[in-house]
This record gives sequence, C-alpha cells and structure tokens, in this order.
Amino acid sequence: MPALGQLALALALLLAAYSIFANVYGARRNAPDFVVSARHALWAMTAMVAIAMAVLWAGLLQSDFSLEYVAAYSSTTLPTIYKITALWGGQQGSLLFWTFLLSIFTSVVAFQNRRRNPDTAPYALAVMAGVAIFFLLMLNFVTRPFQLLAVVPVEGSDLNPLLQNYWMSIHPPSLYTGYVSATVPFAFGAAALITGKLDDGWIRSTRRWAIFSWFFLTLGNMFGARWAYEVLGWGGYWAWDPVENAAFMPWLVMTAYLHSVMIQERKDMLKVWNLALVGLAFSLTLFGTFITRSGVISSVHSFTQSGLGPYFLTFLIIVVVSYSSLLAYRSRALRSRAEFESYLSREAAFLFNNLILVGIAFAVFWGTIFPVLSEAVRGVKITVGPPFFNSVNAPLALALVFLMGVGPLIAWRRTTADKLARIFAAPAILGVCTGVIAFVVAGIHAWYVLTALSLAAFVLGTIITEFRRGTRARQHLVGEPRARALVNLVAKNNRRYGGYIIHVGVILAFVGIVGSSFFKTDVKKTVREGDSFAVGPYTLRFAGVSAEDNAHVATVTARVVVMRDGRAITIMQPAKLFFKKPQQPATHVAIRSTPLYDLYIVLAGIDDEGRLVTFEVFLTPLVFWLWAGGLVMVLGTVVVMWPNVRERVAIAAALRPAATPGEIEAESAPGGD
Amino acid sequence: MRVRSRFVVGAAIIAVAVGYLITTAIRNTSEYYLTVSEAAARAPELQGEAIRVAGRVKPGTIDWDPATLTLKFAMYAIPDPAAAPVKPVVATDPASFEVICAGQPKPDMFAPNRDVIVEGRLNKAGVIEATQVMTSCPSKYQPQQGK
Repeated sequence: MPALGQLALALALLLAAYSIFANVYGARRNAPDFVVSARHALWAMTAMVAIAMAVLWAGLLQSDFSLEYVAAYSSTTLPTIYKITALWGGQQGSLLFWTFLLSIFTSVVAFQNRRRNPDTAPYALAVMAGVAIFFLLMLNFVTRPFQLLAVVPVEGSDLNPLLQNYWMSIHPPSLYTGYVSATVPFAFGAAALITGKLDDGWIRSTRRWAIFSWFFLTLGNMFGARWAYEVLGWGGYWAWDPVENAAFMPWLVMTAYLHSVMIQERKDMLKVWNLALVGLAFSLTLFGTFITRSGVISSVHSFTQSGLGPYFLTFLIIVVVSYSSLLAYRSRALRSRAEFESYLSREAAFLFNNLILVGIAFAVFWGTIFPVLSEAVRGVKITVGPPFFNSVNAPLALALVFLMGVGPLIAWRRTTADKLARIFAAPAILGVCTGVIAFVVAGIHAWYVLTALSLAAFVLGTIITEFRRGTRARQHLVGEPRARALVNLVAKNNRRYGGYIIHVGVILAFVGIVGSSFFKTDVKKTVREGDSFAVGPYTLRFAGVSAEDNAHVATVTARVVVMRDGRAITIMQPAKLFFKKPQQPATHVAIRSTPLYDLYIVLAGIDDEGRLVTFEVFLTPLVFWLWAGGLVMVLGTVVVMWPNVRERVAIAAALRPAATPGEIEAESAPGGD
Repeated sequence: MRVRSRFVVGAAIIAVAVGYLITTAIRNTSEYYLTVSEAAARAPELQGEAIRVAGRVKPGTIDWDPATLTLKFAMYAIPDPAAAPVKPVVATDPASFEVICAGQPKPDMFAPNRDVIVEGRLNKAGVIEATQVMTSCPSKYQPQQGK
C-alpha cells in the first residue's frame, strides 16, 4: 500500500509539470487541444493526490506502524476520529493535505474556466500547478509521508494530546482551506500580469474565491482561538504567538483586499494596490508555513522542526521576486486616470481602512520577526510579547472601527459637511449616549473602553440606519410590507447587506475582545475538600475528586459546586488528564458561559494524593460575544456568497468583450447613494 | 498633481502613525531573550531588566509549595544537541540560575530535565524572579532515537 501512495505522488508531480507545459504552449500557440489536455492532466493529478491521501488514511485507521508517520502520530488506543484527524497532525500529513486542497481547487478552477477566460485561465492554472509542484517536490523528495520504518514498533507514539480535541479536528482544515484558496486570486493576478490583460477580469473571476478564502481564514482563526481558550487552560484565547500571527496576517490582508476591490470595480483605481495585496496574501500564507515549520522563530506551539525551512524560504523569495518584477514591468499599463477627489469620500475611507489593515499586518509581522532581526543586527535576541501587539494594535483597531462606521455611509467621490451631519447625527448620538451610560451606570472609567464602546454603538447605529433607509425605500418604491421589504432588500443586494451583517459580527467580537481584555478577574487558590472561596459574585465549593483510568488516558476530575446568593446553581467539573503513550499531562477546563461573563475553572494542581487541590479561576466578562460575533460573521458571509442571479448576469456581461459598465453599477439598489 | 498629493499626505500620516506606535511599543515592551549561558555572561548588566531565559530544569532542585503557590528550582543551560554525546571531562559546573515564581500554579509539564522558558527579572542576588514559567513542548513525542 505505501508503495501505491508513493507512486501516486510521483505521478502527480509529473502530471503537474506536464499541465504547465500544455497550458502555456496551448495558450501561446493558440492550440485549444493542449489546454484541454492540461485540464485533464490537472484532474488526473487531483485523483493521484487523493489516492495518496486515501493510502495514508488507510494506514492510520489500520494502525500500520511500518509507516513512520503512523507510528509517530497515532496509536492503537487513539479514538477513531483522531486517527482520521491525525492526517494533519504532523508535518508530512499536513503538507499532503495542503497539496490535496490545492489540487482540488485547481481542478475546480479548471472546470469553472473551461469556456471562460481563454486568454488568462491557462496561465492562472499554470501558476497554480507551479505551486503544486513545489509541494509535490517536498512530498516526493524532502518530507515523505510514506517513509517506512526499518523496525516496526508494536505501538505508535500517539497524537499530541493537545490535538485530541474537536476544535483541533476542524481548526487546521479550515485554516488550510483559507490559506490554500488564497492561491486562486494570486494565480489570476499573476496571469493578468503575465498576459497584460489588466482590466478587472481577474478580480471578477476570483471574487468568490477571495471571499471563500477570507471566510475560511476567519473560521480558522476563530476555531484556533476557541481551541486555545478551551484546551490550553490559561483563560485567554489569543497570545500573539508567531503561529497565531501567521494565521492572522493573511486574514488582515485578505480583509483589506475585499474592501479595495470595490474601489477598483467602481472607480478603476488602486489596480497596482490590489494586485500587490493578493500577492502579499499568498506570500504570507507561505511565510506562515515557513515560520511554523522552520523553527526560526521560537513558538510555544513548537511544531516539528525540520529541514523544511530553507526550501520554503527559497520558494517564498522566488514568488515575491518574480511577482514584484512582473508588477514593476506592468506598472506603466496599470496607471489609473481617476484620482481621489476628497477626504470626505467613500474611496478615501476605504483607502484609509486598507492602509490601517496593512499597517496592523505590518506591525504584527514586525513583532513576529523582531527576535530574528535584533539578533542579526545587534547580536542579542530581543522579543516582544503580547504587550507590544496590544499597545500597537489597540489604537489602530479604534481607528478601523471608526472607519467601519463612516465608510459604508459616506458618498462616493465627495460629500459635504452638511450631508455628513445629517447622515451621522443619529448614530453619533447613540455612540455618545452609550459612552455616557457606560461611564455613569456601569462605572467604567478606562478611557479606551469608553471610546471602544461608543464607537461600537456608533457603527451599529450606522448599520441600523442603512437597513432602515433601504427598507423604507422599498416600502415606498415597491409597496412591500416592512418585513418583506427587509428580506428582499438583503436578498437583492446580498453583497452589500451581507457585508453589513459581517460588520455587526466584527463589532460584537470587538466588544467581546475589549471586555475580556480589560476586566478579567484571575483567582488562584489551593483548597482542601469542603473549602469554599469567592470569585466575583460566585462562591465555589470544592466537593472532592474522582479518578478514572483506561489504556489511553487517566483522568482526575474535581467537582466544584458553584453557588450564588447562597443557592447552588451548578456543578462544574474541571479535570486533569494524563495521556499514557506520550507520558504527557493535559487539562480539561470547565466553562460556564453567559452573555455577561464566563466562569472558567482550571484544575491547576493536585498534591497530597488529591487532598490538596489548586484551582485557577477566571471570570471573563463579555467573552461570549467574541464567539457570537464569529457566528454572525459566518451568517453574513453566507449571505454574501449566496448565489445571486443578478450578479451572475453582471459577471457574464462583464466577461463579454464589449461589456457596458452600466450593468455592473446596477448593483446598488434602494438604499445606496 | 494636487489631488494626488492629498492622497499621499493621508497615506503618509497613517504610515507615520503606525511607525510611531511600533517604535514606542518596542521601546516599552521588549525583553531580552537569552539562553542560560548568555544570561550568565551578561548577568551584571541585566540586573532589573525584563528578561526571558530558556533553560532546562535541574533535577533535585524543585521545591513546590502548593499552599502558597511558590515554585523554586534551578535551571541550567540546554546542552547543544550538535555537540558530541560524550560528556566533556571538564568538571566545571555549567552556568545555572535559581528561579522563584510565586502566585502561579505549577505548569502541567513541569518536571526535571524539561526545557522551560522563564519570564521575569533578575534580582540583585542573581535569582530570577519569574512572573511566568512556560514549558516548551518537546517537539515530537517520539522516544529519543538515533536516526
């Protein structure tokens, strides 16, 4: 079986190489047969990679420890679900999974473009196949998933206990999906640069891919945060670890891109900027893999450190250099005639939002590589921790939230102060009132929190205004009842109103982040059975421990009775686990979540044979809203991606040679300016 | 051209603001990241500075008091894996530091000979007063085997 997987990977490499030749030859010599043949080769490549995946999965499920990978990341006692997820538990498996996703997306792109984009699609597919070749070279020659062991062990070393968790089963696939699908806009951007077809065709062809990628990056980051919150037991969800930053940076750049494309579609501006952003997003996905795999930057996550770093760095440099050269080569043709007319315009607000997002990404990048830089320049490793990232990003986040309120409401081109006052009066009053209430009633005096809450309320106010205006317009123009008008408003302008729903989600998450960062209570207490201690409004009574033991893991569970106002409201059961194969402890946090605050109990230590127990308890306000915001963002993205007949027509029109710009403008219906 | 410069000014303001935030934040929050031997070599100049030191827990030095949540131990330099496996005959004690960490639970993975990263300040007595002790996971959960 392993030989089959190895063979499949070798064939996939050959097929990828052939498809590049056939695509480029077919496009240059105008030989459609070759392009068709390249397409078939890509499909065959996908089948080969799928076979390799299936072989590795079979090995994991059958606990075939003759495979080095299976012996290293699985064991006979590992629950079946984690045998499946062990496929991305280690380096070779994750690269194989990455390659699999890449080939699937390449195949889908090949299918989507079998009649569309005859000039650019072959080049885009060649770029994607080029990326696939890099990964296939790694899998075939450098880090082989089907490496056999000379001596077959009786038992495997098991999957890292921290990864034996349901969030970890879905976090890597989401993140990889987001990472890998960022290749599609990049490939089309590169194809546009190569062929010189520099209109916004490449943006239209990949818009859904960009949103798709952004969606999964969002999910990946959220799942990762949730995993850290539930599994790592430190009461937080984000530590600005290099690995987290690696996932966050592409998200920031993708977010910037999704906004700036709107300016190019409307105003034909920022062409170079948009091409640069997709290049940057793709490079950052490679950079992320590079830093997690190379061990150049020390991370608490510490993945398998391997010799993979130099290869990734080389590939990254090749990508960055060739893409920027192409961009420089075409810069003349990309010059835009349109100009910014006023700071008080939507394009200015969008541009500043872009600059801030990229600025945040740069600050995160700088903080991440700072230890390496300082060591190279000054000979001393100097690290910056969470305080650095928080103090840089906190003010930038405020500015971003402010622009989030302003951008969507302000008119394109220019607007007058008068008009501004009229639009923003109500939301601004709402914002100020929220601030005052927070100050007087809730007794919050931290200026940052007051500003953050006021701005959040302001943005929600602007979004409500937008929905109201749109619904009213439909009620008057189309004569629909209010509820129907609201539904139709969203359905007919799903990109715009889906975007607003995403904004609501971002604001909720923002409030959750501010609340949980500023008002967290942390109580550490060592107690004996029967002892009680107070945390915020709660009294916790330790009611004893119970132990459980099986071949895979030993568990000690503590029972904590949670009381409020003298009444027992619930029993929480934090636990400590000990995984047998890797001889490694882990913790099970008990969390009681309410919209106001989370009660989070960690069984931090057991001494004196279970008679003396140390608890660490966190009372974290508003963290609930971070996850709720994530859900709302998911909902909004679903609305944005919902197939919209009118948009299809617009795309089809735009892709016809003589498209009239008017059809695309038709996007903004009632409610728009 | 005037229109273009308006946009350049706006962009420049944001770039300067981001740059300013980064430089001040680095000045205020950075800490030295050193190995035990590096820290030992620079001990006099590091006094009172925020440091992060990577080392290995010395067996037989761990003193953990759960009632007060006080953890004391000594850490020594992590031996270079590239060096010959044969121990040098030289009898000098390798550089080491005493660490006191109060008010934190003992990390799960904390054990003799585990690699740890200690965050805190170096006091006058040469003891690291840690605010945090982190265990770095062994990168692979395989029994050590030659390859």
